[in-house]
Amino acid sequence: MKNFPPNRLPTIAELTIATPEGVLFRLPLAGPAARLYAMLLDIAIVLAAINGLGYLVYLILAKAPGFAAMTITLAEFAIGFAYGALLEGFWNGQTIGKRLFHLRVIDQSGLPLRIEQAWVRNLMRTVDALPLAYLVGGISALSSPIMQRFGDRVAGTLVVRETPLTAPAEEASSRQKYNSFTDYPVIAMRLRRAATPELAGLIQDALHRRNELAPYARREIYRELATYLQSEIAPFPDELVEMLSDEQYLTNAAGVLLASQRAW
Amino acid sequence: MILDLQRFQAQEQPRWDKLEGLLAQLEGRPDRRLKPGEAELLQELYAQTAADLNRVIHGALAPDLRQYLERLVARAYADIYYAQPTRSELWQPRRWLRIFTEFPEAFRRQSRYFALAVLITILGCAFGGLAVHYDAASVDVLLPADYLRNPSLRVQQEEKGQNRHLDSAQTEAQFSAQLITHNIQVALLAAALGVTFGIGTALLLFENGLLLGAVAVHYTQQGFGLFVTAWLLPHGAFEIPSILIAGQAGFYLARLLLRRREDRNMRQSMREWLLLIAGLAMMLVWAGTMEAFFSQHQAPVLPYGFKVAVGAAELVLLAIYLLLMGRSHAGADALTSLPAESK
Repeated sequence: MKNFPPNRLPTIAELTIATPEGVLFRLPLAGPAARLYAMLLDIAIVLAAINGLGYLVYLILAKAPGFAAMTITLAEFAIGFAYGALLEGFWNGQTIGKRLFHLRVIDQSGLPLRIEQAWVRNLMRTVDALPLAYLVGGISALSSPIMQRFGDRVAGTLVVRETPLTAPAEEASSRQKYNSFTDYPVIAMRLRRAATPELAGLIQDALHRRNELAPYARREIYRELATYLQSEIAPFPDELVEMLSDEQYLTNAAGVLLASQRAW
Repeated sequence: MILDLQRFQAQEQPRWDKLEGLLAQLEGRPDRRLKPGEAELLQELYAQTAADLNRVIHGALAPDLRQYLERLVARAYADIYYAQPTRSELWQPRRWLRIFTEFPEAFRRQSRYFALAVLITILGCAFGGLAVHYDAASVDVLLPADYLRNPSLRVQQEEKGQNRHLDSAQTEAQFSAQLITHNIQVALLAAALGVTFGIGTALLLFENGLLLGAVAVHYTQQGFGLFVTAWLLPHGAFEIPSILIAGQAGFYLARLLLRRREDRNMRQSMREWLLLIAGLAMMLVWAGTMEAFFSQHQAPVLPYGFKVAVGAAELVLLAIYLLLMGRSHAGADALTSLPAESK
């Protein structure tokens, strides 16, 4: 199920699903931090619910505090496990916390999770929460290529990030700005002809993920890409290249590659 | 090879909107069932959108558009390949009542894991018992709590009611809830530790057996055999089997994880595991109630013989339930459940 494109390791974890029709699509996985925040929010909600309920029970059973305490202890226990399992099972993989943080639990084949899976992954929290503060679950998720804690591994589920569901406005903002590469139409055309879609995708990805890369990694990647383009694909004149940073070089190259067919 | 994005998006957008509309309509429906015409349309739009996605991936640099199309394809894929359980299926009380017959069936199907759990517990018992029998000093190491180490004092206290912090039904109720939640938590841990390939489960069972064996031999040696039986059996009759079933669930899970690659019928297997846990949780509710309301009353109030008899009767009933329940109905159930599920 998890076949990453061969040439690069993803900077954000993602899962590639191959459907029976041979369609490939990616699902971005949720990081541990987002999941932790969602869980903390859920815990707050559960505690609030239990306290509210406890107050009510004490009011109703004021004459019998022992039975009130029994009711509350049992309810607290049941709610603690059932909250996640029932909400995820009936609400298509989301608890309130997960919904607010745009997370969703799904089956690892890309389909919605089943009710059995929701129960299994939530009951397995007894192990994941060990020895304290979800240490076991956290280590399990970080050591898994698809961010699964033990409960996810057993239930065959994973947590994905929900991406926005609106079609983007026009792409290619770089077309608006002045691009010094267009001063050299012949070299630009050579670049456009020689660049494979994979290479073009690589450049676009590198630029798009600018803020997700560590500074040193970004410098290194940009330098490598720019050097490769300059030496192997389309040598622009030195006097132009000397004035450009590697990032500007790549932005220009992407602008050339993005330009629609009308431009040439 | 490189796509004219503007033209492409302008041309294909209506189709994506149509798919989005269909998906939204479908997801708003309570039963999420498609009419034949809609199913055909969904399939067609899905295939076309998937093709569009392929073109965007290989012919253009449009990460946002690609992400949007991936999400759209993923949603359509989920709706085509996954049949949501309908509300009417989920809210059938009869389905939930079937747990009472399905639990003993699951228990019998996986009985070899139960046997393994019993074996490990007996080993623990033997170890604890023999250690105390041959080396009385080992009691200090094996029995953690002070109150367990000095039987005669404990028995005296219990019989006089000095240890009874449970002076009313009120406190007994509170105590029962604590026992139930604590025991279920321990049992769940034993069942979930199956992910350690059963090692954690085995250790837990062994330790449990060790304590049991040590306490039994220690008290019997000092002549309080009847007391300890009367003290522990009324709730132990359900508590100990339920911990063994938790061990069974743990070993079942371990076996499942070890052969996961060959056996992909995970849904059925997860159901089995959950059935065992649901069953043992019910048993522990009973055990906790008995422990708080019944086991704590000692000789002057409740004669030991009576307590032992109650415990023995519980054991017999439990054995009958686990070994016989659902057997004769198995065939009939399978028949009646089919139409109910396809509703």
